[in-house]
Amino acid sequence: MNGVGAGSLPRWWRNRIPRYRLVGAKCKVCGRIHYPPREACPYCGSRDLEIVPLPRRGKLLSYTHVFSVPGDNRLSTPIILGLVDLGSAKVIAELTDVLPEELPNVKEVEAVVRKVEEQGGNGVIGYAIKFRPVLQATPGGQG
Amino acid sequence: MKGVIVTGTGAVRIGRHYEKSVRALAAEAAWKALDEAGVDGVDFVVVASSLSYLQEPQLSLASYITSSLGLGGARAIGVESGETSGLAALDVAYSLLQSEKASRVLVVGVDKLTNHPSGPTYSMLQLLHDAEAEAYYKIGHAGVAALLFRLYLDRYNVERATTAYWPALMHAHAKENPHAMLRFAITPEKVVSGMPLADPITLLDAYPLGDGAAAVVLEREDEHPKNPLARVVAVESAIGMPGPQLRDDPLDLESVRTVIQRIGGTDGVDVMEIHDSFTIYALLELEAMGLAEKGKSAELVAEGYFSKDGEGPLANPSGGLKARGHPIGATDVYKIVELANILAGTWSGVRRGGEKRALALSINAAGSEARAALLEAL
Repeated sequence: MNGVGAGSLPRWWRNRIPRYRLVGAKCKVCGRIHYPPREACPYCGSRDLEIVPLPRRGKLLSYTHVFSVPGDNRLSTPIILGLVDLGSAKVIAELTDVLPEELPNVKEVEAVVRKVEEQGGNGVIGYAIKFRPVLQATPGGQG
Repeated sequence: MKGVIVTGTGAVRIGRHYEKSVRALAAEAAWKALDEAGVDGVDFVVVASSLSYLQEPQLSLASYITSSLGLGGARAIGVESGETSGLAALDVAYSLLQSEKASRVLVVGVDKLTNHPSGPTYSMLQLLHDAEAEAYYKIGHAGVAALLFRLYLDRYNVERATTAYWPALMHAHAKENPHAMLRFAITPEKVVSGMPLADPITLLDAYPLGDGAAAVVLEREDEHPKNPLARVVAVESAIGMPGPQLRDDPLDLESVRTVIQRIGGTDGVDVMEIHDSFTIYALLELEAMGLAEKGKSAELVAEGYFSKDGEGPLANPSGGLKARGHPIGATDVYKIVELANILAGTWSGVRRGGEKRALALSINAAGSEARAALLEAL
């Protein structure tokens, strides 16, 4: 992202646990869960939080193909984004492994770790959770 | 409470000002405002700018702008609050005047969006969103708005074509605004068939990338200013959830609901300038402000309820962010320039006449913060 900070190696490194493992934070006071973990609960302000794994499958509430792609990522245009409801928390993340014509029929998605950036300011290759369609229903499959 | 009066206004026509720096744009707007107020000095200069810190790039911007204006004797404060920077600067200026720390304040809003090609500029604009959450990905400037737009159309069964009346109305208004960037009419059909930015958002649902600067001089009423235009009655703000995914209902602009409640509601508002960076935000704001039922704002817009001959408050006579333009940190100052002139009867663009009360509303990103100001005629 061209010299405005996203090519920072320490930044990618310190986010590796929530970004690779899909863990959120649960508030010990109000019980609500948010992602990624913040310093205090965005709902009640409590600082008493615990890290919890999030469900790896969820419902796709909305999607878009972003053609006004930032930076020098023209080769990966368009980028597909989704609003995903994991039940305990909602997440905005990139979608992957899906064709544009399939998207209107995608109901359920699952988390995978994928590359987000490889042209950052310092040559950093950044990875994070993305979501892909659950193509086959697996019995009892709550990852 | 000390009365705070707008006494001078200045604005640069928004556009691609490749030949002008941030300082040159700021000077053009500020000097015009100072001349209109009939003053040659101020106690404070409050500079609203968001992208300058990335585009120009320049840190400690307020001091450099103030000295380049030739106002070296004034004190300077810089304000960066994303897309709400201008109303944040107004809040600071209003407080300085009300507390009698200042008698006269110049607010200058300025930003450039054309120092770099659109790709790097989208990288900067996406930082208006939460860089630790959704903006960890390549969401660009339109990605989150697009997710909300699709959700809205699906949930309320609103026809895409109905929503296209908003940008068409904005272009009709901008045609009459001398400092608007896009001074041409468009049809709703053109909006729908436009080039997709982030589907279902097309190019004609989105603000254009343009440079601009606007300025207002504010003075205390008890000091009998020479050129009173309009009174600032209240300036308020609220923060919301950092991202729409954290809201129980992603389509509920809770920060807008809060700021409108804090400023005392919309009763008696004749004219307003609201935040339509993308069509969907105008629709969601009208609903959060209580001016339309949920899912019904597009229909009201299409029926002309917020138009010049409509029954509701006149919406965005400037042409809005959509067509007047949206130089991020400067935009809210344009709104004050426009509304003050409408209330003073010195506005050459669209108006109904006899407006008494005006509201400026802005949000950052998808509602991470919201600000509002109420102005009244003298």
